[in-house]
Amino acid sequence: MSRVNAKVPEGFREIADASGFAAANGPWFEKVEGRRVWRGFLPGPQHANALGIVHGGMLAAFLDAALGSVVWRAIDRRCVTMRLTLDYLTPARVGDWIEATGELIGHDEHMAHVRGRLYGPRHDVLGGLGDFALLSTRRQLPVRS
Amino acid sequence: MTDDNPPEGFIRIDFDRGRPDPTFNTHIGPLYAKRGEKGTRDEFVMGVRVRPYMCNPAGGMHGGMMMSVADLVGTMGAGTLAGLRKFLPTVSMTFDFVAPAKIGDWVEGRAEIVRQTRSLLFSTIYLTVGEEKILRASSIAKIPSGDGPAFGKARLAREEAGATAQPSR
Repeated sequence: MSRVNAKVPEGFREIADASGFAAANGPWFEKVEGRRVWRGFLPGPQHANALGIVHGGMLAAFLDAALGSVVWRAIDRRCVTMRLTLDYLTPARVGDWIEATGELIGHDEHMAHVRGRLYGPRHDVLGGLGDFALLSTRRQLPVRS
Repeated sequence: MTDDNPPEGFIRIDFDRGRPDPTFNTHIGPLYAKRGEKGTRDEFVMGVRVRPYMCNPAGGMHGGMMMSVADLVGTMGAGTLAGLRKFLPTVSMTFDFVAPAKIGDWVEGRAEIVRQTRSLLFSTIYLTVGEEKILRASSIAKIPSGDGPAFGKARLAREEAGATAQPSR
């Protein structure tokens, strides 16, 4: 764990209340400044595909969660993904710090639209566009995803 | 492994033959596949039993898990339908999360080839629980020239399923 944490940039803290899929594929880290959020993780062998690069499904899962967090930080609303469009730009390498961020491009009472990207130390890895359904403000989720 | 109780014909996919560490596909699995008659809807079917470590905090199959399976159906599955025996990197995917799946559900994934060019493979993917669609995905995969990146480790663990020896293709 200490070896992992040595590569985590300043300002990021581990998302402690992860469960299920997120816990099994973590740890994931987050940095928040005002209403902006960044997320990061350190891919290991368990995140790799047959070529030894990070699995596209893992990158998709991570960016999806990061975009959900973008919505939460921007407008204080929990959400679920309706549609996600991803462009795989370049491979992500095991051992590199991989980071994600995004911006809200619009929302109403029911939907939020987000643009985001995932990048490594050298270049962009994944571009994404997400449509999220906003949950009722009265609805409580047990823990964060 | 046996408590996954896959339906008849599904065999666990061994992604890690001879590898020291389990890769992502093994880590999130086990994942299963069934091969059916050529040209039918069941020519290639991927299957997975939803377990707690595949889930979101609401207790449903995590979107990331659905996307990981769909990604694989769009490369390994569609590649198999196209008769391609090489690693196909994903170029682009769009996912519509149309319904949830819950712990214990048996989820199946099928691909349909929309068009194959010299260098790209377009496919539509559905994940289903029984007759209900839970995810629709649209995939573009790259078909590498030549043999592509070294690949070919994944295969069906037939001996584990007690199946008699048969040609893998």
